[in-house]
Amino acid sequence: MTKLIIIIFLIITPALIAQESEKPEQFGLNHLTEYLSLKPSDISFRTDYTEPDSFRLQIVADLMQQPLGMIPYIDKFKSSYVKKQPGLVASYLFADMKKENQTSREKAYYADISEIQKKYNLYYTDMTLNQLLTRAATYIEVIYPRSIDKSLAFLSKDEKKFLTHEFKELLVQRVSDELLSVEAMDSLEKVEEAYIEQFVAFGIKIDKDPIIDAGISSVNELMLEIQSLRRLLKSKSTTASKILSDAFELPDNINFDAYLGRQSGWKIGGTGNDYYTGDYKFILDFGGDDVYDLSYDPKNPHGTIIIDLSGNDSYRSQTDFTLGSGCLSVGLLFDFEGNDRYDAKSFSIGSGFFGMGMLYDVSGDDRYDGDTHVQGAGSFGLGLLIDEDGRDMYNAALFSQGFGFIEGLGSIFDIKGADSYYAGGKYKDILRYDDHYLSLSQGFGYGLRPFASGGIGAIVDIDGNDTYNSDIFAQAASYWWSLGIIYDSSGNDSYNCFQYGQGCGTHMTLGGLIDEYGNDVYFGKGLMQGVGHDYSCGLILDRHGNDTYTATDLSQGAGSANGAGVLIDNEGDDRYFIKNPKNTQGYGNPRRDFGSIGLFIDLSGTDQYFGNGQDNFYWKTNSKWGGGIDIETIKKDSTEVKDEK
Amino acid sequence: MRNKVSLLILLLVLSITTNSTAQSTLKKQVDSLFVIASSGELKYRDLVKPTIEELASLGSVIVPILVDKLDTKSARERLTVNNIFKAIGAGAVPYLITSLKNPNGLIVQRVCTALGDIKDSSAVDALIAIADHSRWQVRDQAIGSVGDIADNKADDAVLFAFNDEIGQVRKSAAVSSGKMKILESVQLLIHQLGDDFYGARMSAAEALLKLDSTYIAESLGDSLFSQNSFVSSLGCQILGKIKTDIAIDILYQTFHTSTGSLKLSAALALLEADSTDLCGFQDEIMSAGFDKFSSLKLKSVLQASDTESDK
Repeated sequence: MTKLIIIIFLIITPALIAQESEKPEQFGLNHLTEYLSLKPSDISFRTDYTEPDSFRLQIVADLMQQPLGMIPYIDKFKSSYVKKQPGLVASYLFADMKKENQTSREKAYYADISEIQKKYNLYYTDMTLNQLLTRAATYIEVIYPRSIDKSLAFLSKDEKKFLTHEFKELLVQRVSDELLSVEAMDSLEKVEEAYIEQFVAFGIKIDKDPIIDAGISSVNELMLEIQSLRRLLKSKSTTASKILSDAFELPDNINFDAYLGRQSGWKIGGTGNDYYTGDYKFILDFGGDDVYDLSYDPKNPHGTIIIDLSGNDSYRSQTDFTLGSGCLSVGLLFDFEGNDRYDAKSFSIGSGFFGMGMLYDVSGDDRYDGDTHVQGAGSFGLGLLIDEDGRDMYNAALFSQGFGFIEGLGSIFDIKGADSYYAGGKYKDILRYDDHYLSLSQGFGYGLRPFASGGIGAIVDIDGNDTYNSDIFAQAASYWWSLGIIYDSSGNDSYNCFQYGQGCGTHMTLGGLIDEYGNDVYFGKGLMQGVGHDYSCGLILDRHGNDTYTATDLSQGAGSANGAGVLIDNEGDDRYFIKNPKNTQGYGNPRRDFGSIGLFIDLSGTDQYFGNGQDNFYWKTNSKWGGGIDIETIKKDSTEVKDEK
Repeated sequence: MRNKVSLLILLLVLSITTNSTAQSTLKKQVDSLFVIASSGELKYRDLVKPTIEELASLGSVIVPILVDKLDTKSARERLTVNNIFKAIGAGAVPYLITSLKNPNGLIVQRVCTALGDIKDSSAVDALIAIADHSRWQVRDQAIGSVGDIADNKADDAVLFAFNDEIGQVRKSAAVSSGKMKILESVQLLIHQLGDDFYGARMSAAEALLKLDSTYIAESLGDSLFSQNSFVSSLGCQILGKIKTDIAIDILYQTFHTSTGSLKLSAALALLEADSTDLCGFQDEIMSAGFDKFSSLKLKSVLQASDTESDK
C-alpha cells in the first residue's frame, strides 16, 4: 500500500509542479482559445504566403511560425543585460541576427598584436594607458578595416558606394515631400523601388557578421582596459595629469603618426574642459565638462572610439554618422559619468549602418536628440544605446529608439531612472493624415515590402516611471517580416501612440510589448494594444498593476485580415475604454474568405469596461473570430493589498 | 503587279504602325490614369474612384495592359487592377480566361481572384481546369472563385479540394461549399470541424450553418462524441445556432449522456438556443455541478442573451 502511495505521489507531483509553473498568461491563452474552439497554436503564419527573400532573420522566421513564443523570447531578451558588461548584451543580440538557414557565422579578422607593435612607438610611459591605446589602435587600424573588407568582400566599388548613397536614401525622408504632386510622388516611389530592386540583387553578397563581431570583441577588450585605467585613477596612486605628463620628449620635426596616442585623428584630453572638433578616430578624455563637435565622412570610413571618463559633456553632430555610430565600420562612445547631452543629426547615437555602433552611458541625467536612424538603430548592423542610470530624455523623428531595418538590430537598454521617449513630429504621414507624423520608432522593426524582410527593434527599460510618446507606427510594432519589442520592467508607465502601436504587427510581422509592474496607462486611437493585421501578430502583456487602456477602434485584442491580436492583463484592477465595440476587445475580421483571431484576456482584479467586456465574464464577439475572458485566477499579493491601504 | 504588291505591303505596314501607335497611346493613357487610380495618398483619395470609372469606360481593350500589371509588388496597385476589372465586368472575362495559362503563377492566382469578383459563369470551366494547379495559392483562389460565382458545375472540384494538403485550400473548399450549398459536402464539412488549421475548421462550421438545418442536425448528432474535441464543441455550437427542435433534442440528450467538456459544450449551446428558457432547461443546467469557470461561462451566456434582448 505504501508503495502504491509513493508511486501515485511520484506520478502526481511532477504534474502538479508543471501545473503550478504554468504562467498565468499561458493559462489564459489556453483557457480562452478553448472557449472559442481555437488553440494557441492556431496563431501561426505560413512562410510561403509570399516569396521568401534572402534577408530574413531566423528568429523572425521562427516566431512567425509560433508568434506566442514572443512572450518567452522577450523575457529572455531583457535578461541579456548584465550590469557594466555592454559587450555581453551585444553578443547576445548578435546571436539573434543570424539569417534564416545560415549555418555558420563568419568571425572578425584576427589580428596579431605584433601587427601594431611593429607600427608604433610608445609615447606615454604609463603601461595601463598604453595597453588601452594599443588595444584601440589594433581595432581601429587593423581589425575594423580588415573586418569590413571581409563583410563587403564580394561587392564592387559601385555597390559599396550604393550603400551610403542610394540605400541610405531609402531611410531618409524630406519634410518637403508632403508638397509633391501625385505624379512627382509616383515618380519618387518608382525611383525608390528601382533602388530597392537594384539593392536586392547584390545585397545578398553582404555578410554583416565580421564587422559586428569585430565591434563586439572590441567592446569586451576595451572595457577591460578602461576599467583598469579607472581603477588606477581611483587608487590615487597616480593622477590623470601625471599619466599625461609622463611622456617621452619628442622633437618637433618628428612624425607623430608613428607614436601611439599621437597619431592623426587621435586625441587624449586631460581633466579640464576640452573642446574637440572634427572627424576623429580616437578620443580619450580624463574628465571635465567637454564639448565635442564631431563629423564623419562616409567616403572614408573608419572606426571611431570615444572614451570620456567624467564630466557633464556635450556631444554634437556636425554631420551624420557620429556619436557611437558605425558606418561601414565600428563606432563606440563610452561615457562614464555626468549629465550629458547628445545632440545628433541622423545615423547616430548607437547606430549600426553596415557596421556596429554603440553608445554606452553609465550614469547621469542625459538627453539624447537626433533625427533619423538614431538612438539604437541597426541596418545590416547592430545599433545599441545602453544607459545604465539617470533620468533620461530621448527625442527623435524617425526610424529610431530601438529600430531594426534589414538584417539589423537596434536597441535601447535603459536601466534606471524615470525616462521619457518621444519619436515623431517631423515627417508627415501623407498617406493617411494631414495632421499626423510618422514615428516608425520605439521598438520598431521594418522591412521593405515585399522585397526584403526587416530586423529587430527593441527597448528594454528596467526601472522608473517612463513615458513613451509617438504618433504613427511605434511602441512594439513592426512592418514586414520584422519584430518590434518593448519590455518595461517596473514603474508607472505611460504609453501614448496614435496608430499602429503598443503591440502591433502590420503585414506579415510581429510586435510584442511586455510591461511587468506598475500602474500603467496605454492610450491611442486605432490598431493598438494587441493587434495583428495581414498575417501578423501583435501582443500586449501587462503582468501586474492597476492599468488603464484607452483606444478608439481595431484595438485591445483585435485581429485583422487574417492576423492575430492578443491583449493579456494578468493582475490588478484595470480599466478598459474603447469607442467602437464592433471591432475591439476580442475581435477578428475576415479577409481571403476566412477570419482573424482576436483574444482579450484579463486574469484577475475588479475591472471596469467600456466595450464588449465585463468584469467576471466570458464573451464571444460577433466577428470572425474573437472573444474575451475576465476571470479570477490570481490572488492579490500582500504588497498590493498593503499598497491599497 | 509589282506596284500593287508594294502598295499592299505599304498599307499593311501603315496599318500595323497605326495599330501599334494606337496601342502605345492607349497604354500611355492607361498608365497615366493608373498612377492616380492607385494613389494611396490622402489628398488624392477623392480622385481614385472617378479615375477607376474612367479607366473602366475604356472597356475590355485595356484588359491586357492591366493583366501585365498584375505581377506588381504593390498591394495597392493590385487592388486597383482588380477594381478596374470588376468595373469592366463580363467584358474582361475572355482575356482573363486566356491569362490563366500565363506561366507566372502569381498572375494566375490574381486572375482567379478577379474572375471570382466579376462573378461571370463563363469562367467556371477555366477555373475548374486549374483547380489542381501545382501552386497552392492558385488552387486556393480558383476554388474560392468558383464559390463566388456559385455555379454548381464546379461541385466536384470543390469536393475534391477538401482533401488538399494545404489548409488554406481546404478552407476555400468549405467556404465555397457553403456559398454553393453543396449538400454532398456535409460529411466532409463535419470532418473538417476537427481540422488542424483554424481557418478550415471555423469556415466549415460557418458553411454548415448555410446548408439544410434538419439534415445538418441529424448528421451532427453522430459526430458529437468524436475524439476530436473541436468536432464536439463546434458541433454543439452549430446545433445551438440551428435552434430547431431536433437540434435542441440532440443537445439535451448529449448534455445528459456526456461528461466533461462535451457536457459543458452541450449546456452552453442549449442556453444559447433557448435563451428565454421555453424548454425549462436552465435550472437543471445551472445546478448540474459545473466547476467555477464553467459556471461562469454558463452565466455569461445567459447574461449576454439578456443584454441582447434588452437591445
